[in-house]
Amino acid sequence: MKINKKRNLSMVVVGVISFLFPFSSFLLTSCTSIDCPVNNLVRTRYQFTSSAGDSLKLMDTLTVVSARKDGKDTIVFNKGVQISRFHLPISYSHPEDILVFHFDGDSLHVADTIWVKKDDILHFESVDCNATFFHKLTAIRHTHNCLDSVVIVNPSVTNDDAVVHVNIYPKVSN
Amino acid sequence: MTMLSYMSIFIRRSAISLLLLLAATGAQAQMKFFSIQKDSIPLFRGFAVSFDMVGAGMLLFSDYGQYEGAFRINLHDEWFPIIEAGIGKATHDDEVTRLHYKTSAPYFKIGIDKNMLKDKHGPNRLYLGLRYGFTSYKVDINHPGLVDPYWNWEAEFVIQEAPCKYHWAEIVVGIDASIFGPLHLGWSVRYKQRLAHSEEGEWGKPWYVPGFGTYDTKLGATFNVIIDI
Repeated sequence: MKINKKRNLSMVVVGVISFLFPFSSFLLTSCTSIDCPVNNLVRTRYQFTSSAGDSLKLMDTLTVVSARKDGKDTIVFNKGVQISRFHLPISYSHPEDILVFHFDGDSLHVADTIWVKKDDILHFESVDCNATFFHKLTAIRHTHNCLDSVVIVNPSVTNDDAVVHVNIYPKVSN
Repeated sequence: MTMLSYMSIFIRRSAISLLLLLAATGAQAQMKFFSIQKDSIPLFRGFAVSFDMVGAGMLLFSDYGQYEGAFRINLHDEWFPIIEAGIGKATHDDEVTRLHYKTSAPYFKIGIDKNMLKDKHGPNRLYLGLRYGFTSYKVDINHPGLVDPYWNWEAEFVIQEAPCKYHWAEIVVGIDASIFGPLHLGWSVRYKQRLAHSEEGEWGKPWYVPGFGTYDTKLGATFNVIIDI
């Protein structure tokens, strides 16, 4: 009797196992979740700063353009008014980005060019998330029509949108 | 002394006694858990080899999975030191992100199971066990034809044979049923926890780790065909 009971239990266990097996592989392969960062944009953040180190609000209208691969201009930031901080895209893997800043006021139209040199780092999060590049800003230079100086304050450009990477010190008119 | 202070001393002494009793009982229970049942059955009861069907099934039905085998020693039908080894593979081409991911590498696990059934020498077993796992592997990740959306320059996104290492632990709960002769079938459910990992370079983290599964996975299962030797 005892042996029969054990056999029966064994058969029940085997039955459960056999019933569940085809589902196990299916469940383990189908239960996947997509876990991408909330912000997958990698952008540089610029801030207009006074010589005292405070954030400065720009009274003019700012438009930033850059030359595409085919030589035609593309607007990367359009008509920002009364801004102090703004984001600009950064190229995936070009060694240097050339950005032309157009400042438009009532009686003023001035343009300055900023050259941003950088190292590009491939960034992989998951096969479900878009391929991205992180960057390390290595050097920056600019023309001096309206800008006094441009300084890299945080060279590491990632998908953290809150970090200011570059401080722009405009020439202040009295 | 007042009645209140007598009561306070009584309560304090009772609490300390209770704590000591609990500690002693706990220690005794711990000793019992790690001891081997005393009977006429010899300590060494043989070997068993097994093969996991779930990992093979996953390889068949999805982009990743593993071929895994195990070698287990039976000590008194109670303790089962075990070595598990396999080859984990992943080849994934994502239709949406157009990312290609490939890896294939061996992995190793070492651990021990304890038969939790009261009747240790019966035909069925209920296991509780622990594993430590390790793998050293390389990953290939690429995105063909990636173009910068603003400037239209082509960008090369290629990670070639990036070396990685991964250490993890598993808590195993499983059952094992005797079918006939030396053949057993068994199930196990595993809770996995990453212990340490390292990737050479700054490119990010792997998506699939051979033997562990996807990078942040917590649960796994095996369905084992076991042959007693």
